[in-house]
Amino acid sequence: MLDAFSRAVVTADSKGTPIGTAELASLRKYVADANKRIDATLAITQNVSCIAADAVSGMVCENTGLTQPGGHCYPTRRMAACLRDGEIILRYVSYALLAGDPSVLDDRCINGLKETYLALGVPLANAIRAIEIMKIATVAIMTETNTGRKMFEGINSGSGADCKDIASEAASYFDRVISALS
Amino acid sequence: MKSAVTTVIASADASARFPTLSDIESAKGSFDRAASRLEAAEKLAIHIDRFTSESLDYVYGRQSYDQANKDKCARDINHYLRLINYCLVTGGTGPLDEWGIAGMREVIRAYQLPTAAYIEALTYIRDKVNIPGDMNQQAAAEFKTLLDYLINALA
Repeated sequence: MLDAFSRAVVTADSKGTPIGTAELASLRKYVADANKRIDATLAITQNVSCIAADAVSGMVCENTGLTQPGGHCYPTRRMAACLRDGEIILRYVSYALLAGDPSVLDDRCINGLKETYLALGVPLANAIRAIEIMKIATVAIMTETNTGRKMFEGINSGSGADCKDIASEAASYFDRVISALS
Repeated sequence: MKSAVTTVIASADASARFPTLSDIESAKGSFDRAASRLEAAEKLAIHIDRFTSESLDYVYGRQSYDQANKDKCARDINHYLRLINYCLVTGGTGPLDEWGIAGMREVIRAYQLPTAAYIEALTYIRDKVNIPGDMNQQAAAEFKTLLDYLINALA
């Protein structure tokens, strides 16, 4: 598992050179944005069940057959597995966002996910749709553009408008999962 | 590669929980110290060749070690300083532990390397860091902590 700092180290070590001013610029930006990153991570962790449950119910609403007998979310045992997976993916996205590097998501979540779903007969198109909804919800919460109650605390960084860059980074991690399943 | 943040994430993942406030607090602690660490890493990268050559000239200038080893010693000191540069960036001792210290005793014993010369060179670098010429006070403190860590591992 790598974070933004150890990613720079591994890259520099492959060249056998110390990390100099040029490479340090992006790390300094990471440090400068640390408070936004923390708030963005908290925005996920404080709204986990909302994001995951809404995404799964959104997916089901678009395909009502899923919860009928014979559907992939029937009976509730399978619906529960679906909710659980939503939370797991969200958890690894929150790790990647805190680390500023997707390696933890790749190693511990994405690697083998498609094969597992194929083996278990999980419909990939529906899984991808649920992840898409999670992505949209997460970005909306982080940038404070969600409708309804305020869900972004902004204890450290202030307003969600400042978190646009971090939110698009979070979106890129969801896209990573989506493209791995596609 | 271990760093402050990956350690936090690994322990959160081991118990399958989202990063908690206390996890985030401990990651934040490393971000707060990051400025002086990165400053030290930057200055070390700039001065790495000079630190190496000055310390080697000092250690091998007194004729107490076999001059034939000087170039190899210089290469190794440079290597260790590069690993310290990485440690300063990650905010932990991961790079030194994994790439510098693991297996070091075995290599030193097998080739009968003069570790005393290494220790002298590293001690010289530690004691001769010019504040603020080479780096500022906090950066030098971070750098010296890692030099001490390595010296203790070699001793």
